[in-house]
Amino acid sequence: MEIPPIDAEIALAEMRARREQVVETSLTPAWYWPAIGVLMVLFVASVESRIGWVIAIGSILYALGLSAVIIAVVRKARVQVRQDLMGVRGALAIAAFALALVAVGLALGFTLAALSVPFPATLACLPVAAGLVIGGRYLMSYLRRLMLSRPLASSR
Amino acid sequence: MSADPRFDELIHAPTRLSLVSLLAATEWADFKFLRDSLEMSDSALSKQLTTLEEAGYVEIRKSFVGKRPRTSAKLSPHGHAAFAAHVAALQEIVARAGLAVLPDQVH
Repeated sequence: MEIPPIDAEIALAEMRARREQVVETSLTPAWYWPAIGVLMVLFVASVESRIGWVIAIGSILYALGLSAVIIAVVRKARVQVRQDLMGVRGALAIAAFALALVAVGLALGFTLAALSVPFPATLACLPVAAGLVIGGRYLMSYLRRLMLSRPLASSR
Repeated sequence: MSADPRFDELIHAPTRLSLVSLLAATEWADFKFLRDSLEMSDSALSKQLTTLEEAGYVEIRKSFVGKRPRTSAKLSPHGHAAFAAHVAALQEIVARAGLAVLPDQVH
């Protein structure tokens, strides 16, 4: 069967639009990274306070908050994006993002501790949290572009 | 790897084209996601999925999340191959006509 070229182009455009719909659905929501950043800072600050009841409340809030965030994201996940859309480059980008934040946090924390600055871990967490908020948005943007640049179909 | 172009009339029907395009971008998709994305009724979507399942293009999985039944669908390897061939056929038609088309190879 032969169809007019314009119909073929419209069909391809529909395929691209539907793939974009899947990609948008699969990315973490905008509030995810700030929520993780805030929870992390609150938890570390509570632990570093070395006050028993503050640590207890901080730990409970962290556990509840993290559970709520994860449940909300999992409930939103009504689709699992095709693995080869993310690919090795996507996985490496996520790993590099996480490793960079851990490295910054540890380096800054140990440096501040060595300089006897009070609350070194909490202070070190602040730029990490900022990195989560800002970098998380860029990471999602990068992954979105990456996935949309992949071929429409994958033969298996 | 390039798929051999093969126009697939089963996939090309308007609703199924959208449905298969969604599934082609996923490992699996929840029934409600498909229904909401395509703005279809449950019965209309079920009918289309059954047609694709009978052709061997789609696998339907029923499971339980807690006590709630959850239905999801995925494109079978046969379905992925048919979609890839259909994409290649469409691209060939467009390229032959010299229309501007975004380069999009099947791999």
